[in-house]
Amino acid sequence: MVRCQQYPPLRALQASAALRRASDEHRKEPLTSSSQQHFDSPPAGHQPEQEPQGPHPSYTGLGGQESEDYESEEQLQHRILTAALEFVPEHGWTAEAIAEGAKTLGLSVAAAGMFHSDGSELILHFVSECNSKLSKLLEKEQKLVQLGKAEKKPIDEFLRDAVEARLRMLIPYIEKWPQALSVLLLPRNIPSSLNLLTSMIDDIWHYAGDQSTDFNWYTRRAVLTGIYNTTELVMMQDSSPGFEDTWRFLENRVADAMTMSNTASQVQSTGEAVVQGLMGAAVTIKNLAGLNQRR
Amino acid sequence: GAELGARTAGDRSPECWGLNCISFPCPFFAVYQVFESVAKKYDVMNDSMTLGIHRVWKDILMHKMNPCPGTLLLDVAGGTGDIAFRFINYVRSVRQRQLQRKLKQHQNLSWQEIFESYQKDKFNSLGDSQVVVCDINREMLKVGKQKAQHLGYSEGLSWVLGNAEELPFDDDKFDVYTIAFGIRNVTRIDLALQEAYRVLKPGGRFLCLEFSHVSNPLLSRLYDLYSFQVIPVLGEVIAGDWRSYQYLVESIRQFPPQEELKAMIEDAGFFKVNYDNLNFGIVAIHSGFKL
Repeated sequence: MVRCQQYPPLRALQASAALRRASDEHRKEPLTSSSQQHFDSPPAGHQPEQEPQGPHPSYTGLGGQESEDYESEEQLQHRILTAALEFVPEHGWTAEAIAEGAKTLGLSVAAAGMFHSDGSELILHFVSECNSKLSKLLEKEQKLVQLGKAEKKPIDEFLRDAVEARLRMLIPYIEKWPQALSVLLLPRNIPSSLNLLTSMIDDIWHYAGDQSTDFNWYTRRAVLTGIYNTTELVMMQDSSPGFEDTWRFLENRVADAMTMSNTASQVQSTGEAVVQGLMGAAVTIKNLAGLNQRR
Repeated sequence: GAELGARTAGDRSPECWGLNCISFPCPFFAVYQVFESVAKKYDVMNDSMTLGIHRVWKDILMHKMNPCPGTLLLDVAGGTGDIAFRFINYVRSVRQRQLQRKLKQHQNLSWQEIFESYQKDKFNSLGDSQVVVCDINREMLKVGKQKAQHLGYSEGLSWVLGNAEELPFDDDKFDVYTIAFGIRNVTRIDLALQEAYRVLKPGGRFLCLEFSHVSNPLLSRLYDLYSFQVIPVLGEVIAGDWRSYQYLVESIRQFPPQEELKAMIEDAGFFKVNYDNLNFGIVAIHSGFKL
C-alpha cells in the first residue's frame, strides 16, 4: 500500500483527539519553539505559512489538504516537553516529569511513552529552547546597536554577557542539571548535544561580529566552547550568593582568551612571514637551477 | 508457508484458511471452543510451547509500557491475568521508589509527621493505578480470578466479560490498552483496533504483543518445523487437545506480518506507530498513540 508520509488522507478526515487545529495555535501566544530553529531537525513550521482557518473545515476529500490544519506530531511533542519543564525541579529529567506535563495538557500519562525513558528528549528540547532564547536576546541587542540606541560592546564584555545570559537560564534547574549533563554525554545523545553546543557558540560569535572564515574561526570556536563548558561545570558546584564566583571565573577566562588571541595573531603573522620566506627561497632555487626559464 | 494472495485485512473466512485448516469450520465459535477447552492448561501449555520465554516477552512488554502510578490499564483478551499481575507489580515498585524519594526529601520531620505520612500512603500502595482484565471467555476469566486469589492480588484488579470488537466501556476511559497474544483470535481485527481507539483517552497508548513473521529464511524453516511438528504433539500430550494447538499454529501463520499490522493500526487512527521484533520476529510488540 503506497503511503504518502506527510499527508495521510484517511487520518486527516478523522477528528484528531489531541492534535489541535493550527488556528487554535495562532490564537494562543506563539510557541517559542516555532521560531527559527536552524538546528532542530524536523520542520516544526509548516504552521506559520498557513492563514488561520475558519471554524468549519472543508472536507473536500481531496486528501492531504486537511492535515495542514492540524499540528504535526512533532509540534505536539514540543508542547508536551515544554509543559514538562515545570515539573523538572521536582521529578528530575525523567519520564515522570513528561507524564506530569502531558497531564497538564489534558493528555493521558501514557503519552510519556512517546519519549525515551531516560528523559533525553526533554533535556535536548530544553537546551534548544535556551539556545533560541539566547539568539533572540542577541538579535535584539544587535538591533539596538544598529539603531544607535546602545553602544557596541567590546568583544570581551560581549562574550561575557552572552555566556552569562545563557548560563543564567539554567538557574531554575540547577539542582538537576548535573543529571542532565550526564545524559547528554550518553553516546546516543552526543551527536545532537554536540550539534546544539556548536550552533550556540557559532551564534554567539556571529553576533559578536565575527565574519571570518579563515583558520581562526576554528580556534575561536574551540576557545569559546572551552570557556562555556568550564564555566558551566564551575556553576554546578558554586554555592556563593547569586553565583558570583562563577561570574568572576568567567571574567577571568574571557580575559585569558583575549590575551591568548593577541599572542596567536602574533604567531600567525610570524608564521606567514616564514612561509613567504620559504616561497621566496624556493623560487630562487628554481631560478638557479634553470627550471623557471620561460622560452 | 503458503501465503495466500488477495486476502483483505479483516477477512478471516474459512476459505482463506487454505493451510490445511481441517480443524474448525467457523472461526468465531472455533476460537471460543479452543479457549474453553484449554483454559485450565493455558499457562502450562504456554510454558512448554515457548520454553518459558513467553514470560520474558511479557516482561519486555511491561518495560516498554513503563507505566507510572495512576495509570488505568485495559488488558483485553487477558484471560489468565499475566499482563495484569505484571502491571500491578511494576506499578507497586515504582510507587515504592516514589515514596522513598519523597521521604528522603523530608529531612526534618517530627515523628508525628512521619507516622502520618506512612498512614496516608499505606492505603495507596498502587498510587491509584488500576487494571481491568477483559476477556470474551468466561472460563479464562475464572482461571484468572483463581490465580489472583492464589497469588494474593486483590486491589486494583477487575474482571469483565467482553468482546474485543465491541467493548463494554465508555469512550476516552483508559490510559493504556494492551492485547497480548489475543488479537490474532479476533475475527475482525480492524473493529478491535477501532474499539481500542475509542476507549483510549487522548494521549493514550495501544500496545499489542503478538506472534509475527520471521523474515530470516533459515530461522523461518526451523520455526515452521517446530510449530507444525512439535506443538500439536505437546498439545495432545499436555492438554489432551491437538486440534486446538493445530489451530493455534495455523492462526499464527494467517496473521498479518509486522508492516501490515502497523498499517492497520495507523488506519484505525493511531499515531507514532512502530514495532519491535523480539526473537527475530517470532514475536512483535506494536505500539501506537491516540493523539
